[in-house]
Amino acid sequence: MAGKVRLSSNDNEVFDVDLDVIKLSGTVKNMLDDLGVGEGGDASAGGDDEIIPLPMVTGAILKKVLVWAEFHKNDPVTRDSDDDTSKRTDDIGQWDSEFLKVDQGTLFELILAANYLDMKGLLDVCCKTVANMIKGKSPEEIRRTFNIRNDFTPEEEEAVRKENEWCEDRDQTPR
Amino acid sequence: MFSLAVESMQGGRPSQNEERRRSSYGVQGNGAVQDGPEGFDFGSRRRSTQLQHQIMQQQKPFRSMHSNTTIDKLPDKTLLHILGFLEHKEICRLAQVNRKWRQLAYDNRLWSSVSLRPEYGGLVAAPPPDTAVHLIASRFGAQLKCIELPIELITAQVFHELANKCPNLVHLVLDFSNAMQLHDFNDLNAFPSKLRTLNICLSDVIFMEGFMRKIYNFINSVECLQLIGTYEKVSEEEEEVHETVQITKLKSHVPNLRVINFFGVKFLDDNHIEAISSNCVHLECLCIKFCTKYTGTSLKTLLQRCRKLSCLLMEQTGIKSEHFQDAEWEKSRVSELDITSCEITSAALIDVLGRIKNLKWFCAGHVDGFDNQVLDSIMQSGLAKSLVAIDLQSCDNLTEEYLFKFLEAHGNQLLGLNLAGIPWLVETFWTQSVPFLRKIKILIMGTGKIVTITRVSSKIHVDQIIDCVAVNCPQIERLEIRWDPETLRFSDKSSKFIDTLRVKASKLRSLTLSDGEYFELVKSNFERAHRRAIVRTTVNCSTTILPLLPYFKDLRFN
Repeated sequence: MAGKVRLSSNDNEVFDVDLDVIKLSGTVKNMLDDLGVGEGGDASAGGDDEIIPLPMVTGAILKKVLVWAEFHKNDPVTRDSDDDTSKRTDDIGQWDSEFLKVDQGTLFELILAANYLDMKGLLDVCCKTVANMIKGKSPEEIRRTFNIRNDFTPEEEEAVRKENEWCEDRDQTPR
Repeated sequence: MFSLAVESMQGGRPSQNEERRRSSYGVQGNGAVQDGPEGFDFGSRRRSTQLQHQIMQQQKPFRSMHSNTTIDKLPDKTLLHILGFLEHKEICRLAQVNRKWRQLAYDNRLWSSVSLRPEYGGLVAAPPPDTAVHLIASRFGAQLKCIELPIELITAQVFHELANKCPNLVHLVLDFSNAMQLHDFNDLNAFPSKLRTLNICLSDVIFMEGFMRKIYNFINSVECLQLIGTYEKVSEEEEEVHETVQITKLKSHVPNLRVINFFGVKFLDDNHIEAISSNCVHLECLCIKFCTKYTGTSLKTLLQRCRKLSCLLMEQTGIKSEHFQDAEWEKSRVSELDITSCEITSAALIDVLGRIKNLKWFCAGHVDGFDNQVLDSIMQSGLAKSLVAIDLQSCDNLTEEYLFKFLEAHGNQLLGLNLAGIPWLVETFWTQSVPFLRKIKILIMGTGKIVTITRVSSKIHVDQIIDCVAVNCPQIERLEIRWDPETLRFSDKSSKFIDTLRVKASKLRSLTLSDGEYFELVKSNFERAHRRAIVRTTVNCSTTILPLLPYFKDLRFN
């Protein structure tokens, strides 16, 4: 029986979204609470034509975010006490990993959107995906993967290598 | 910041295109400081934005729409969040990428919990002491809450640095287990003084008193004391057992203990426990697993004096039935009890379990005295009603009939159940009882840990069991099925059942099986679905109901 909300992206695309889907966004939820909408799923309290503007998100990304939220709307609320999973990155669900098979730019845009919309679940799963892209790579491979420029002077590079060699596997030849 | 730059360049009112562009790249302005992109080509950006618009209208897939959003666009806060998912080894490698990443990798928020013990922290060797001292000052600093030190780094210099630079250090692990000799602590005059947890891994041959005397004055804030003994490193012949730590003396310097763990401390006996129990009113949890000298003469005093004691773990101690019975269980608050591998008679169990009021968590694996009468008595007395987790592995004086009755009556309240090592509990038993286990989180079945010569006579059709768990146990987190590959029977339809389990049991984080064909099948099934590290072999992993203990996080079993 949940009502609907209208959201508009920064490129003026308008989305009609179920309240129980968009409740996953802390940002939107707060805006709705301020407008006095949402309590009983009664959207009309805020006026039928009320549109929530989301100036930080493009329509294309918002669409994707909403697909994610629709799939996860019934997820149990995760408690922070279950925290020996906190460092795990291998617990990304099948649906999520399919969902996140996107180019890097889209992935980062999703992270920015999740950040802005305050959607912890989406943010975590995206960040874990990026962490998995970093894992097991040498500094040079990381640079190549993310197109990062090396701005160290040779002296600095040598110093930073030395500072961190205690953490390195001994059998791995430094590159 | 970037959006401001755009506006000043264009001047006047931004067009719709600019509006869109600005916001899609201006998200980072959300509170975080961000370097502007270098050498940016605004013209090409505009073209690509127009292109985006067209693509969007054609409802084409996303490709390359956001190709200008690189990892550098993410705010530092988010990058740190990503780094938080990585091990320190990986973070050290990231530091070598460029200046910005070095700064991120050295952020001391990423270094609040550090293990410098090679075998636990994933390091190959401990860092040299001067490197460690440098790291403590420059990288860990005030954020450091928890550190583990190997013997090489247990030096006065390291402690001085920790005491001076890390005011928030609350958890310290000192691993002496590989020590041949102690460093010189004559110069030691500072030590972290706000510790809540102190964990000392003992060595058989190192006498600690010289060191302990130096630190006694700093450790009175400790609430959780752990001395990890050398039980696991048993040598064949009986050696002389040295009392390497003076327990009584130590006790007098830590008055506020809430949790005590003496895991496998060989020299620990009843006199020590007696000393511990005096003036220790806050004690809630005592673990003396594998302290074989303990016989239980001090148990009565312990329960009398430590009224708050709720968790008592006595696996494989030498506790005697008469001492076990002697204690005033009816007045105690004990709700979690472990007597695995203790030689306690059936009569003693019936007596004690009749007097404990509110037992929630109970381990009595390998206890021959735990038989049908005992099980019957706890069902009669109503004690069974409070149970949420029970481990009766290898209690082979229990019959299928009684266990089934028990699960029929109380299965729906159980979160944890271990019935491995009882040979006659096969497929039919499990397919009939699993439907009762609606709330179960941890479930262990199959042959015992120690392989018995009497093989299970019939084959186990694992598919039915898997299906039964998938359908009936939505909360399942850890599942272990221990039958060996020769006993397990599966078919080409097995994949379908594994699929069902994988999809239905969304909280499953550990599935342990004997190494073999079936294991490979399940493992590859889960890996195809990107759920790695869930399926393990019984060689690497042994499931217990310990995670259901309220003190699980305080205790360390290594």
